[in-house]
Amino acid sequence: MSFEEFENQARLYVIGALEVEETEAFELARKQFGQRAEDFIVECYSMHEAFALSLRPAKASDALKERLMTMVRKRKTTG
Amino acid sequence: MEFSSKNGGPDDHADEPGRRKPATAPELPSGAPTDLELMSAIQREDPEALALLYDRYSGILKALILRVIHNEAEADDLLQEIFMEIWNHAKNFSPQKGKPLGWMVTLARRRAIDGLRKKQAYARAGERLQIETEQQPDAWVHNATEEEIANSDTRILVRRVINILPPAQQQAINLAFFRGMSQREIAAQTNTPLGTVKTRLELGLKKIYDGLKELKDEL
Repeated sequence: MSFEEFENQARLYVIGALEVEETEAFELARKQFGQRAEDFIVECYSMHEAFALSLRPAKASDALKERLMTMVRKRKTTG
Repeated sequence: MEFSSKNGGPDDHADEPGRRKPATAPELPSGAPTDLELMSAIQREDPEALALLYDRYSGILKALILRVIHNEAEADDLLQEIFMEIWNHAKNFSPQKGKPLGWMVTLARRRAIDGLRKKQAYARAGERLQIETEQQPDAWVHNATEEEIANSDTRILVRRVINILPPAQQQAINLAFFRGMSQREIAAQTNTPLGTVKTRLELGLKKIYDGLKELKDEL
């Protein structure tokens, strides 16, 4: 597999769209390309961030935040 | 993913000179802690850092969850679980593996897709998905008011990259990313040959990747 082919597969991999039968060849290429492959995969994950940022933020509940913070503080005190 | 923006409106101002702002992360007020500083503080179990992170990203994460499961109450439950997971597993975050927002989005997406699959309501969601698939991507619903769209410049810039894609590529990526569908599932859902789905995903993702890279390089 060329690095260009690996790049195509890596972009599918990070969004979970790599098919099972493609996984083995992908993992082999990942090992073969080593750190260069790992760096590229990290870069690909920035697409996750971008997809989320493409959405209009929804209204998150203040009550939920209160509940969350109560749980966290309680856990911290008892933990 | 708000892939298409065909209705004009505030997004049109994104092309005005001088309006470009850093993409890929909302701009912070002067003196505000960075996301990395907040994550470090959460790793030291500082609850206030989690509160700040919630204020900063709960809207984005909830929008992501809603995009997957389409249910306000379930989205709130999942959002709470996700922030607890952030609190409990903050030590697993490593800046070498990406940015805090990327890590949180990955967590939220995984949780939301797991939730979708577990729900008995999956069948109903499937019916809704069928309707959405037959409609233009524009029809996906977003409830935020303009006031709630803080840092919308970032969204506009990212959307501009995504909107370059032909609708079929946008649809394939949407189904893969927001529904967790495999290539085969997308092929079945859209009555498209598997090879075509693969090509659409590869081409679309490459364009998005290159577009985001270009955006970063320009700024």
